[in-house]
Amino acid sequence: MRKLFAAALTSVLALAHTSAFAETDASVRDIVKKAELASYYAGDDGRTEARMLIVDAQGRKQTRQFTILRRDRADGGEQDLMVFFSRPADVRDTVFRVIKRTDADDDRWLYLPGLDLVKRISAGDKRTSFVGSNFFYEDVSGRNTELDDFQLVEETDSLYRLGATPKDPSSVEFSRYVVEIDKTTFIPMQIEFFDSQDRLYRKVQALKVETIQGYPTVTYSRIEDLLNGGATEMQFRHIKYNLGLPEDIFSERSLRTPPRQWLELGQ
Amino acid sequence: MSSKASQLVHFATGHRKLVFWVVALLAVAALSQFPRMNVDTDPENMLPASNPERQFHNLTKSTFAMRDTVVVGVVNDKGVYNPTTLDAVYQVTKFADSLEGVVHSDLMSLANVDNISQGEPGTLRFEWMMPQPPADAAAAGEIKTNAERIPLLNDTLVSGDAKAAAIYITLENKNSSWAIAKQVQGFIDQLPASAANGDQWHITGLPVAEDRFGVDMFIQMGISAPLAGLMIFVLLWVFFRNVAFITAPMLVAMATVVITMGALIGAGFTVHIMSSMIAIFLMPIAVVDSVHILSEFSDRYKPGDNAKAVIEEVMGHLFTPMLYTSITSTVGFLSLMMTPIPPVQIFGAFVGGGIMLAFLLTITFIPAYISGLSEKNLAKLTAQQPDPSQSKLAGVIRKFGHVASHHGRWWIAGFAALFAISVYGISQIKINDNPVRWFKAGHELRVADRVLNEHFAGTYDAYLVLSSHNDIKASLQPLLQNAQQQASDDSVKQWLGDLQAQLAATDTADIDLTDIALQVDDQLFSAGDEDAGLLENLMNELDKITSQQKAFVAPEVLHYMEKLQAHLQASGLVGKSNSLADIVKTVNRELRSGENSDFVIPDSSNAVAQTLLQYQSSHRPQDLWHFVTPDYQQSLIWLQLTSGDNQDMTAVVNLVADYVAANPLPQALTYRWAGKAYLNVIWQKQMVEGMIGSLIGAFITVLVIMIFLFRSVAFGLLAMLPLTLTISLIYGLVGLIGKDYDMPIAILSALTLGLSVDFAIHFIERLRATFARTQDWSATMAEMFEEPGRAISRNAIVIAIGFTPLLFAPLVPYITVGVLLGSIMAISAIVTLIVIPAVAAPFKKQLFKTAPQTSEESHHA
Repeated sequence: MRKLFAAALTSVLALAHTSAFAETDASVRDIVKKAELASYYAGDDGRTEARMLIVDAQGRKQTRQFTILRRDRADGGEQDLMVFFSRPADVRDTVFRVIKRTDADDDRWLYLPGLDLVKRISAGDKRTSFVGSNFFYEDVSGRNTELDDFQLVEETDSLYRLGATPKDPSSVEFSRYVVEIDKTTFIPMQIEFFDSQDRLYRKVQALKVETIQGYPTVTYSRIEDLLNGGATEMQFRHIKYNLGLPEDIFSERSLRTPPRQWLELGQ
Repeated sequence: MSSKASQLVHFATGHRKLVFWVVALLAVAALSQFPRMNVDTDPENMLPASNPERQFHNLTKSTFAMRDTVVVGVVNDKGVYNPTTLDAVYQVTKFADSLEGVVHSDLMSLANVDNISQGEPGTLRFEWMMPQPPADAAAAGEIKTNAERIPLLNDTLVSGDAKAAAIYITLENKNSSWAIAKQVQGFIDQLPASAANGDQWHITGLPVAEDRFGVDMFIQMGISAPLAGLMIFVLLWVFFRNVAFITAPMLVAMATVVITMGALIGAGFTVHIMSSMIAIFLMPIAVVDSVHILSEFSDRYKPGDNAKAVIEEVMGHLFTPMLYTSITSTVGFLSLMMTPIPPVQIFGAFVGGGIMLAFLLTITFIPAYISGLSEKNLAKLTAQQPDPSQSKLAGVIRKFGHVASHHGRWWIAGFAALFAISVYGISQIKINDNPVRWFKAGHELRVADRVLNEHFAGTYDAYLVLSSHNDIKASLQPLLQNAQQQASDDSVKQWLGDLQAQLAATDTADIDLTDIALQVDDQLFSAGDEDAGLLENLMNELDKITSQQKAFVAPEVLHYMEKLQAHLQASGLVGKSNSLADIVKTVNRELRSGENSDFVIPDSSNAVAQTLLQYQSSHRPQDLWHFVTPDYQQSLIWLQLTSGDNQDMTAVVNLVADYVAANPLPQALTYRWAGKAYLNVIWQKQMVEGMIGSLIGAFITVLVIMIFLFRSVAFGLLAMLPLTLTISLIYGLVGLIGKDYDMPIAILSALTLGLSVDFAIHFIERLRATFARTQDWSATMAEMFEEPGRAISRNAIVIAIGFTPLLFAPLVPYITVGVLLGSIMAISAIVTLIVIPAVAAPFKKQLFKTAPQTSEESHHA
């Protein structure tokens, strides 16, 4: 799950990277690709428990707890994702299902137990809030790196600093971002987003990286809204990779009937 | 005059230079404070910061992030859903978002809100309503369809008639509203395509009005006060025809104004709409006493006399009446301090103090100045002085006196009838105010206010806040205690103990369930296997408590809100109301079918919570917190009113009170009001109640002073009679013609009482002195309408004319004050001259037998 988790943090960074390689320096392309793999594709599958603490500009808190299951269809390619909510209690058993695609819009479904409703969510805009947090949906699933152009801004002893600009500026609310990628782990450690007036308005940080089953994994991250105040912290626990998750649990059936055996911590 | 007072006057004439220096230094010191002036135009400050309603209003604003807002409206008679107008809306939104001092996340416009809709069949879609300006009419039409489907936007962001759209620019600090409004206006002025398209832009919002008010207030102070000075100067010249001579009272007036304002600013008070009128109030009042001195001096002084001796003699005559009229005027103003409205209190205190200062300056500076005038100048004065008994005014007064001093019974009957009508009129008074109406009818803000309220559901806000009250502590404590007893791990035991201690020391309202749940979760993460079950159990119990706390996901509660809103809408008093119920219904509709039949509240709390989780998955999740707190224990219903009149808001408050009485709130919820429209009702109410106190206080105090001055209860009551009639008459008229009883009208009652009693003091003093001398009523009456009648009329004219520059002020309250004060002065002078003789005549034997002479007979004008 570290993948997912790390992915969540790094996805923003990593996604942005991939596409740029063709036009830019081969080494930049390489860095972005490696970052994407490190962030979102560790192992063949994974599970993590995530705990989100959303703090608004007034310091008021909300929490979200959920378990993420991930299975790669191809390394660096398509992925299946399921997100099972456990808290707050009144949203328990709400489930998201995502098929992440690299060449088309993701497929997304939603199950709301209180309304006994399975709903497909139209893709389109991925930069909407993820369940009220400062994370965007795209931060969790990973932004397609093909959507942005990358440049190496700086290389230090420990990190690469890349500048990214969107190929289609009208599709996103940022005008550019700067990402710092750790040289050894290739985990994006920080991303700073700038708006159309070049105000730094959003900052994503990996606060803690642990090596789990040999994979460097972000276990603690934070996104801050620098313009309006408020931040979301996400902690990942009970991370496990290469569980051998069967393909058939990533299905519509699992929305109403979660695969309990794979969600339990003992696994 | 007491010996101390005569010593003071003697000292002043003997140390002229010292007097000049002291006055000059005081004035310079006061002037040095002027740059520190802070203008305060916030109607909220009509209530003290400690007022509980005001505190709750501000708490509500911060709890629900309801910001002060500049409202930009665009109106196009052909409809706003065309590419050009929408492009302009888009550009203005982007521009506003780029400004410093704007709360970006709360800025609301078609260009930055979400459309929530059914995408392809069976799908839910969140997308920007207008991510970029529409390319063609069809795309613009799509925006119309989408926007009108969302209840929160329709009639708030776009008008139901499709002819108007609004941009709500939320401010970090309302003090920047005028600056931001100006920048936005500047940007709009540079959108030629929009202008060519027939778009009309309006900018309003209460903060803009307040800011603009401050600007106009400075204009008023900069124009009206000097103009009042000029008026008085001209009047004095008409009376005395000698510039050097009349410079003295002008200097007294200016010194009084400067020192009083300097003291106000130096003491750290802000200049509010009330205190901005201090200068114009003090100027005529400060001159009145000097007019008496100059009149009498010019009568008595003969070429060759010792000016110093003459002035000291004049002061001897005038000291007592001047002292008493100053004291009664001061009492009138100080009585305003009994009204619990800080700007009114400060105004009362400083004008009251200013009047006493004017008195002090008059009895020191004027003698010092006049005794220093050259022989030549003084000779010119007597030569140029027209004979007052031959003036036009004298003829008018004489004729008036003839009419007034006869037919006493008819006069009494007439005044009794007028009084009865006035009492009826007073009973008809409508208490109502609206700060936007402080601007004149044609003012651009009034126009914007009118136009936007025609198209939208209303630009005046009131908030109905519902709160649930649960004793979390009572449910938590046994739970934690129990868990502690059962825990096997010492560190878990220890932690549970600490948690209980911490809980005991926290107020129920401050208990953070989220935080406790996080701690349990952390323990669960690190605890050994033996306590895992226990902690798991504790966590589940906490979940239960947390869910129970969330009153505003309960369908029962949302249904209540829905019905209350429908009731408000049906009353026609509210343009529109917005609440959590509307959000839940909208999201539920789009989650289900998109059809109106699904525009309902789901039937379980969990379903509501899950619906709201979806709402939070939009571009603007924070919008939810305008309507409910993150713990779901407080919820806000936002009422949009098309009128900011207190009367209309009061009707809404009563409507809700009646509804809640008939339909008790579920789950023991309570409600409370906030919002600017509501706060205005509160201070208005306080002002009316406070003014009654001020009026009664001033009346009793002045009556006591009168009784003391005349050493007679009968004369004391007689002195109060004319002004009682005058004030009743004026307020009866206000009630009869249907003019709203607003702030300026309210404050005038108490203070005019102190001002207009002056006429009665002068009249009665002279009446008694003259009657004592002549012992003949007709002869006394004839004499009364010579010099005393002229003096009273002259004073009434000085004060009434002194206030006329207010008629040219840019703001309505100033004009109201000018008109009313002028009329009160004129009417009370006339009433004094008629009523006192008419009432005194039948009782003259009793009155003059029983009344002893005042301590000193005076015969000033």
